[in-house]
Amino acid sequence: MKEDLEVLTRRAFLRTSILGAALSWTIPVFVERTFMTLNAQAADSSLQTMTGKDHPILVVLQLAGGNDGLNTVIPFEDDLYFKARPTLGIPKGQVLSLDQVVGLNPALAPLQGLYDTGNLAIIQGVGYPNPNRSHFRSTEIWQTASDAQEIRTQGWIGRYFDNCCGGEDPTVGLALGEQLPEAFSAANPTGVAIGRPANMGFDRENGPAEAHLFAELNGLEPASLSGDSVGTLSGPNKSGLSALEYLQRTALDAQVSTDKIRQVIRGTKNEVAFPKNQLGGSLSLISRLIAGGLPTRVYYASQGGYDTHAGQVNTHKRLLNELATALVAFCDDLGRKGIFDRVIVMTFSEFGRRVNENANGGTDHGTAAPMFVCGGGVKPGLYGKQPTLSRLDAGDLVYNVDFRSVYSTLLSKWMKAPAAQILGRDFPKLNFV
Amino acid sequence: MLSPLAPTRWDFDAAAHLIVRAGFGGQPAEIQKTQALGLARAIDSLVDAMPDHYPPPGWANPHDQDELRSQVQEALTPEDKQLAQKLLNQQFNTEMRDLTRWWIARMVSTPAPFLEKMTLFWHGHFATSGQKVRPAYKMFVQNETLRLIALGNFRSLVKAISRDPAMMVWLDLVQSKKEKPNENFAREVMELFTLGEGHYTESDIKEAARAFTGYRINGQDQTFRFAFQQFDPSLKTFMGNTGPWTGDQIIDFIVSQPQCARFIGAKIWKFFAYDDPEPKLIDALAGELRNAHYELRPFMKRLFACEEFYSPRARNSQIKSPVQLLVQALRTLPIPMPDSSVFEFALRQMGQVPFFPPNVKGWDGGKSWINTATLTFRYKFAHQLVKGINPMEIGLPKPPAMEMTGPRPTMTPPLLVDQIVSPQDRQEPDKLIEKLFVRTFQCTPRMELTSKFQDFVATRKLPLDDDTIRELLQLMMTTPNYQVT
Repeated sequence: MKEDLEVLTRRAFLRTSILGAALSWTIPVFVERTFMTLNAQAADSSLQTMTGKDHPILVVLQLAGGNDGLNTVIPFEDDLYFKARPTLGIPKGQVLSLDQVVGLNPALAPLQGLYDTGNLAIIQGVGYPNPNRSHFRSTEIWQTASDAQEIRTQGWIGRYFDNCCGGEDPTVGLALGEQLPEAFSAANPTGVAIGRPANMGFDRENGPAEAHLFAELNGLEPASLSGDSVGTLSGPNKSGLSALEYLQRTALDAQVSTDKIRQVIRGTKNEVAFPKNQLGGSLSLISRLIAGGLPTRVYYASQGGYDTHAGQVNTHKRLLNELATALVAFCDDLGRKGIFDRVIVMTFSEFGRRVNENANGGTDHGTAAPMFVCGGGVKPGLYGKQPTLSRLDAGDLVYNVDFRSVYSTLLSKWMKAPAAQILGRDFPKLNFV
Repeated sequence: MLSPLAPTRWDFDAAAHLIVRAGFGGQPAEIQKTQALGLARAIDSLVDAMPDHYPPPGWANPHDQDELRSQVQEALTPEDKQLAQKLLNQQFNTEMRDLTRWWIARMVSTPAPFLEKMTLFWHGHFATSGQKVRPAYKMFVQNETLRLIALGNFRSLVKAISRDPAMMVWLDLVQSKKEKPNENFAREVMELFTLGEGHYTESDIKEAARAFTGYRINGQDQTFRFAFQQFDPSLKTFMGNTGPWTGDQIIDFIVSQPQCARFIGAKIWKFFAYDDPEPKLIDALAGELRNAHYELRPFMKRLFACEEFYSPRARNSQIKSPVQLLVQALRTLPIPMPDSSVFEFALRQMGQVPFFPPNVKGWDGGKSWINTATLTFRYKFAHQLVKGINPMEIGLPKPPAMEMTGPRPTMTPPLLVDQIVSPQDRQEPDKLIEKLFVRTFQCTPRMELTSKFQDFVATRKLPLDDDTIRELLQLMMTTPNYQVT
């Protein structure tokens, strides 16, 4: 497998150079221009030009709806916990202890293996000042890494692309789902969203003549040249292009990345079975795309359903179990492919939930919650402090780690990126990488 | 700067540029009519068009949620309360979808498209979202307020928006108390609505917030009410002026800043003409706006008459917003109206659902409309508009069983070819392609493009059948050129 990867990458590289030199007649003029810029930029050390097989990869996993952090990592020695959660509290005997005072929800049992083998870090009490309890707004704050009162229109991952990935393939960021997450918004838009593979790419329902004219009108390369090669020509600065050129470039990006993703999907398989649900499907696909040598630096997937205002017990148990099972399968699959050390997964949710359970056997919108970070390059353990239940702010937990500290740690220590520049200022870094 | 376009340069393409930018494009005959009027009368006919009397959505009255609301309040058990709340949410979602459909349909059918376009501009400017505002009636009222003053006086518009119930909820004015003024509206009114960042101090925000106290909503009929006991009548020092200022007086101070005219002039220019106007042009626009005492009608007439508006920099430089793309297609092509869930879904996939701007800054516009996912969807949607929409094929999810309250999205019939193509046209492909080109791209035929389409149909049997003609339209609509105006 490893050898195959190397060959593939080298061949792709050779084809790139040949294409750049000889095939410019098939490629729109602006791409040619771009190619020259790309060559010039290869010498620029601030840009991380890497092949598909050696750069660090971040997988961002959104737990949408607001995960109940207090029933995820549980302070099982605290009487106040059981007082606040008379029906939802997980009995001490069932909690999977991580240390003397906190432990995991039993539905997360598969994760304990990862914790024990030293591949899981848990950051407790993550949040931000003046927390917002609207799904919409708080998600936006996490996605754009803004202060609570500040509106930023670009996402934190998008700003990473802007700062570090100029001139790279559009698949440098890949989101599973029909839409790009707000975290990908960038000055120089990049990244690809893939929903159902059937929905990718352009419809060509009317036959080859139509397909040919369509390609011509959109400045796409003729079908005979399609493959992964031209994609690497995708240029650095889309912002300098005219509207028409920009559209043409995006059409090319869409086609190239679709072709490439389809090719990778055909050429790779999973080594272990993934759970048959949406999250399992997403992570299984991501694992194959990584193994297939896609130049993607950041993958984005999500798991929904965490907005447990009522009847929380069973829903939350099912969600956490799906999460743990899928994550463990993912790590295992990467491990067997020998690429586990290149990948870190980070989970986040827009907020945790109220400390006191409500009258409907559920919990309402709250604030601080734990985050999971797992992967081969992770320094395992518990980070941050479990927020105290004796000093709440209007019934909610008080955060002690700013979520941007977690971003900052991953950006600078894992992605080797200028975190302060990307996040707008310095945030203290943690030691989980 | 801003001198009127030379009459010799007023041609078919200039007329098309005007009605696409000031409205949503038109049938070839409309473009010809506009051209024949001459520049000045063409502008007058657009800007002074009589507004339509479009009936409001059936549910749009302040009491439409009374029954469900009282059910929520009077529920005896938590289960009943939850169920009632769910019904209330469902009603809200249905109404918001319907509001989007209502507005899009109005844009498509209105005899005063410029008024709708300007209302759309103000909606993006005073961006308020149904994510936070309840009930849908408030969003409807704001839309009507924007339309009413869209071409009136900017100063009055800002004052009206400060009293608009949807805005008061969106930016927390309703929660602002004398003892604890909320600064959200005070900040945004300067940062986003009038001056732009850096043209006021933090102390101006604090002082203004005290002036905008006492703004409340009458729960009964959802109207503005001034609660004097909640108003802070004490002295405020705002931009160097000390007095017991009210919110309206604060707005007067803000609007009299020269920066306000620059900010608004540049933003309007960006929406209608092009991005990043030159500083000199911004100065000229600001001068016009101040000379007109912020009256928008004369200002817009000057804008549409000036040569910069017709310059090469302006032409074909703007990426259509999703709303523009959809409304223009429906106004210029005989496409049967899709139903409301299709509208809402398609606009969401393309990144612009009216009444749900992404945040208080509104839509970024320009290149941000386009990424690989949105462009792929635009192309897919264009195919569907022409061949008839199948909700499942554009990826519209089946509604979960619980939410099966409204009618299920239905298939839409294909584009009605006979309405734009005569039997004679079918015998003359070259001419037909030129006609379709004008209709689709809203400009005179360009040889380098029409020849490609002509080659494409050269081998087809005559008379050309509906399928071939639809295929041609699909191809025209899935080009970069079709995405720009």
